[in-house]
Amino acid sequence: MIKALFITLKNIFVKPVTLQYPTQKMPMAERFRGLVDLRTEKCIKCNQCVKICPTSCLDLAVSSQEGADKKKEFGHFKYNMELCCFCGLCEQVCPTQAIYMNKIYEISVYGHDKLHIDLLDSGKYDEWAHPTVK
Amino acid sequence: MGPQHPSTHGVLRLELKLSGETVVDSVVHIGYLHRSIEKIAEKRTYTQFIPFTDRLDYLASMNNNLAYVLAAEKLMGIEANDRAKHIRVIMAEFNRIASHLFGVTTFTQDLGAFATPLFYGMREREKIVEFFDSVCGQRLTYNYMRIGGVSRDLPAGSEDKIKKIVAYLRPKFDDLEAMFSANRIFTARTKGIGTLTGEKAVNYGVTGPNLRASGVKWDLRKDEPYECYDKFDFDIPTGRNGDAWDRYKVRMEEMRQSLRIIEQAAGGMPEGDPTVKAGRIFRPAPGQAYVRSENPRGELGFFIVSDGSPVPYRLKIRAPSFSNISVLPELIKGLKVADAVCVLGSLDVVMGEIDR
Amino acid sequence: MTVSILTFIIMIIVGVMALGFIAVSAMFLIWWERKVSAHIQTRYGPMRVGWHGALQSVADVIKLLLKENITPAGADKAVWWTAPFFAVVPSVMVFAPIGHDLNIGVLYIMAMTSLCVLGIFMAGWGSNNKYSLLGGMRSAAQIISYEIPLILAMVTAVMFAGTLSIQKIVEAQKDAWFVFHPSMAVAFLVFLIAGTAEVNRTPFDIPEAESELVAGFHTEYSGMKFAMFFLGEYTNMLIISALAAVLFLGGWNGPFLHPILWFLIKTYGIVTLMMWIRWTLPRVRVDQLMNFAWKVLTPVSFVNLAVAGWVLVR
Repeated sequence: MIKALFITLKNIFVKPVTLQYPTQKMPMAERFRGLVDLRTEKCIKCNQCVKICPTSCLDLAVSSQEGADKKKEFGHFKYNMELCCFCGLCEQVCPTQAIYMNKIYEISVYGHDKLHIDLLDSGKYDEWAHPTVK
Repeated sequence: MGPQHPSTHGVLRLELKLSGETVVDSVVHIGYLHRSIEKIAEKRTYTQFIPFTDRLDYLASMNNNLAYVLAAEKLMGIEANDRAKHIRVIMAEFNRIASHLFGVTTFTQDLGAFATPLFYGMREREKIVEFFDSVCGQRLTYNYMRIGGVSRDLPAGSEDKIKKIVAYLRPKFDDLEAMFSANRIFTARTKGIGTLTGEKAVNYGVTGPNLRASGVKWDLRKDEPYECYDKFDFDIPTGRNGDAWDRYKVRMEEMRQSLRIIEQAAGGMPEGDPTVKAGRIFRPAPGQAYVRSENPRGELGFFIVSDGSPVPYRLKIRAPSFSNISVLPELIKGLKVADAVCVLGSLDVVMGEIDR
Repeated sequence: MTVSILTFIIMIIVGVMALGFIAVSAMFLIWWERKVSAHIQTRYGPMRVGWHGALQSVADVIKLLLKENITPAGADKAVWWTAPFFAVVPSVMVFAPIGHDLNIGVLYIMAMTSLCVLGIFMAGWGSNNKYSLLGGMRSAAQIISYEIPLILAMVTAVMFAGTLSIQKIVEAQKDAWFVFHPSMAVAFLVFLIAGTAEVNRTPFDIPEAESELVAGFHTEYSGMKFAMFFLGEYTNMLIISALAAVLFLGGWNGPFLHPILWFLIKTYGIVTLMMWIRWTLPRVRVDQLMNFAWKVLTPVSFVNLAVAGWVLVR
């Protein structure tokens, strides 16, 4: 019993391990799986990510007309954050590393509609907090 | 004791019939966390189902992944290469330590040592969880293992990191144990409480540390070795009486043995490429396979029936906590309410597994 | 008895000052507890409200004042309403004779702290909730059982000093603190253990325990009434620590520093000791608790008393 008291006594003098969130934030690991993001120029619209997603949260639509350089054009590329389980399968299956997971983890918003975004929109994550990476 | 209670580990409803303060009879109500995972499996391909296995026993995700992946590999006749096996064993054992840290410290919290051991345990667990974060990107639901290997190789410098974590954890376990083992209040509260005889445990289907604490020396890692556990040298701690004290002691010892396994696995890591491409669609031949593995809570079994299509025809999960909690009404008969809470904590069940 | 208006006003002012002192010290104690517990658990504790969370207690009190007063249906109104007062008022009354040398000081303090049991019991009964009743009864049993070793330990100190008055006991320790005599050391230990049980602190905090089935005797109280129970508990802890400091550790004697400073250091030292024990040890079960009180502590304190008496008479 006395030993237990000494252990707690020792721990009083240990520097606290708490981070004072939100003023101090933890940097994220390099491989951290945050929200899904897209490098539109690399995407070849192969639909692999859409097919492998376990919760079917990605929806890729390609317009039927061909663009100037004979490549198909994007219609929309919807991402439903409410269904996403952050498993990272889409990132791993992409042949060109176009779809990837960024480091955003603070995803509380004030409305369901803000969680349904279009990955083609380049300013979609501008208002979200971007954490530092270790 | 309703579904929301600070002492039941998850959403569990325990209906107690009391006479004064002694429990005369009890009924366990489960099902509050049912998510139809087995039904979902019938519409997902084998790789797509791996994130769902994470969420069964969410404290031991790597072990769940491993059990499922082994079952799928057996069905398809694939074997992972040596480096993948070593990595998988390291991950499984680290997760065992993390899960036991959580289980033991919440047990002591139920006994009344408010939050102090919980904080110490979580501080140690943080090191393990940070390591997992650096390898696969998540801290709790890893989705790391694939059919035939793992999703990504260990990042550079991992072996040093593993050595540092092992060296850091060893003395901390002694500290944690010293806080309780010699504490007379703790021993008075746990010795002789909730005694489960070995015969009764086997009859009920109790597995894992609960079974070993009752004196039955049965561990799937030694008795039916899977992966490369037969290459490593470690002991199986057993208890004598099967009371709450023995269950706590067995878990502490198992953590130390896990450290031994990790050291051996990380020491002789073979070269090679352990990764598997995620996009491959598996179409196993019609058949069935049942594989069981040693989870921190007991024996997790996956039974997969395939009819040749990319999705399983039926997937059945044998969850260890389900059998473990079935013994609860018998154990708490004749005990006081405070002891009932103590027994539930010592059984270390996770509702995610029970309800699936 | 004719009391002039001026004396009456002075009495009221002194009374308010005493109440203020108690309230402030209880709030300081609450902050101190949170800091000590946090650092034992390697975390920070309150940090945002004021410097290192110093104003946290103030924020908590304001919050409690603003809470809604819910009366449980079917509660025994008179009993339920007056229970918090019975928990707080005796503790405050202990501080009433500050400044006067009451020649039955120790007896007066003991009598006042014994009244707190009534408050707990009334809270348990008046709530019309079987769990509160269970909690209240358990708590009453605990407090009454541990009174005996407590009083016996205090009587040992009184024997050594030869008087019940607090001032004279402290004077008798001018040369050596009482705790250095062997039988007084045992009495000190008994006093600390029994005192922790009196105040319902871990490892004896079954009535207060929020985990476990029984949520305790003060479940049905919200807002200011709950604050009064809380205040009463912390004031009791302060009283027991102050008593330990005075009876065993030499009160306000000590070199170099001002006596009041010494007294505060010793009292808060014992308080910190109680907090340290609280955050390290698990809880004792009810029957083990009663066992311990009657089969271990009471005989030990009786024997100790006899030994002390024999040592003194020799």
